[in-house]
Amino acid sequence: MSLVKHYVRINQLVGSRSLTASGVRNYRVTIDGKTLVETAPADTLLTELYKTHVGDYSKFYKMDPLCRVGFMASELLLTAEDCRQKQWGESRGVVLFNATSSLADDRNYQATIDDSETAFPSPSLFVYTLPNVLTGEIAIRNHYYGETNFVVLPEFDSNTMSAIIEMTFCDKYLQSLVTGWVDCYDETNYNVLMFIVERDVTGHSTELSQEIKILTEK
Amino acid sequence: MEELILKLKNEIIEVLNLEDIKPEDIDENAPLFGEGLALDSIDALELIVLMEKNYGIKIKDPNEGKDIFKSVAVMAEYISKNRTK
Repeated sequence: MSLVKHYVRINQLVGSRSLTASGVRNYRVTIDGKTLVETAPADTLLTELYKTHVGDYSKFYKMDPLCRVGFMASELLLTAEDCRQKQWGESRGVVLFNATSSLADDRNYQATIDDSETAFPSPSLFVYTLPNVLTGEIAIRNHYYGETNFVVLPEFDSNTMSAIIEMTFCDKYLQSLVTGWVDCYDETNYNVLMFIVERDVTGHSTELSQEIKILTEK
Repeated sequence: MEELILKLKNEIIEVLNLEDIKPEDIDENAPLFGEGLALDSIDALELIVLMEKNYGIKIKDPNEGKDIFKSVAVMAEYISKNRTK
């Protein structure tokens, strides 16, 4: 029995670890193991996914790079789950992990305050200088009122992730989680494995950790 | 004034990341908040920064901002009368 119910991967193609001649990394998008996008340049991928699969949530354009990639992954994941109309309320939460926190936006915000003579701090960049804004964006969009948490780890660690996921289900109202790894170094360098788990992972964090490891190798 | 209105529309599109909107899509007489472009409170802060950064206008009273940001045309009128750069 699989503990992971649905999953989305947005990852850099192995052959494009370094920048291409045009300076753009290429990415693949898969949903439940099926390829949605075989290869696309990182700088236009998220906007094209938004236009094709969402299109009616203009707040997307105001999001920082981490939120854009995490939001799009969640949209694809929840469409695959096919339960968008369900009223989840407190029964669903969002717990995400990465190693770069909100670095992509932090760097952009820093650029607005570097020179004290000409500093004009940007309010719209400042509001994204925390990674847990992403968990909030997903919860607000889908009316999830359960636990939201964003954990920054030294590196990808499926054991720690599984243990935290299992611990989150100590909340007796929680029935399922949108969870996973959403790392974003900058606008063209990100890596996502987002998935849904249900309460039956409780007591099975070792097995969940193994499943997560296998998914990252697909 | 028309030149300033067009410049202002382009600046608003840039600072508010209105990626799908072109200057001609913005009605200069339409409300910026609530309807029209449906801007939010963070957008209002960005417009305050824009006024100071690009035109040298400091808006200290939030109530004053409500009047100034009624529409692009009203903003342009205020800028033309109060700009220091």
